[in-house]
Amino acid sequence: MSNRRSSRQSSSAPRISDDQMIDLVTKLRQILPEIGQRRRSDKVSASKVLQETCNYIRSLNREVDNLSERLSQLLESVDEDSPEAAVIRSLLM
Amino acid sequence: MSTYNMVKQEFIKKWITTLHMLDCSVEHPLNVTERKNAIKLSSDIAMAAARSGSTVWSRALISRSGNKTANKPVARRILKKARNRLKNRCLTLRRNGNFTAKSGVRKRTELLKSLVPGGELIKNKDYLIRETLDYIVYLRAQVDVMRTVAAVDSVTGNLTNDNK
Repeated sequence: MSNRRSSRQSSSAPRISDDQMIDLVTKLRQILPEIGQRRRSDKVSASKVLQETCNYIRSLNREVDNLSERLSQLLESVDEDSPEAAVIRSLLM
Repeated sequence: MSTYNMVKQEFIKKWITTLHMLDCSVEHPLNVTERKNAIKLSSDIAMAAARSGSTVWSRALISRSGNKTANKPVARRILKKARNRLKNRCLTLRRNGNFTAKSGVRKRTELLKSLVPGGELIKNKDYLIRETLDYIVYLRAQVDVMRTVAAVDSVTGNLTNDNK
């Protein structure tokens, strides 16, 4: 990552630049197919893209939480001597 | 092997390490909640440690996780190792107190900053976006791996090789 500080102050325009938006959208499109529906390259709604991104991050975090819960319960309920237990134990705890 | 697969592999390696280390440092037996927190914590540390670069989010995540492991010296060791590796890349960040949230883009940018670890420290929007994309890739890898492991119980004995 470059060392450049924003000594050129980000211009007084409060919006993220179009280039950055397009870049972000392109990359997100590979991850979130829903965004790709409105193909207006010049007028991509920055607000919408940011919202989708935030929603996506939140849902991923929620999923990590749920999966942690599930894994925890899995370890609780798994029968001590079963092959699953051995596998999981060798992988996890 | 695709970059994404490499990310997942790296995450798996780190996760196995962090799980074992945390496991050694806690008192058994754990209740379900304690175990869940340990799994999640080790997973987050692993995700950040897998990112061998000078990203803001990974350092912020490690530092955030450090607060949760105050009582676990072994966990602190992992974090220290990870911190030292990242410390050498100099990248200073400054707190920017000037952002005021307005509606639309500005407000949602603020929201994004609150979701990406360390985001509130990033002043440059271009940089924020790059951090976000990087963070999402690793977050996704974390979810994919955990999902696969959680599915073990339904594929008895059939653990596929690409998750070893």
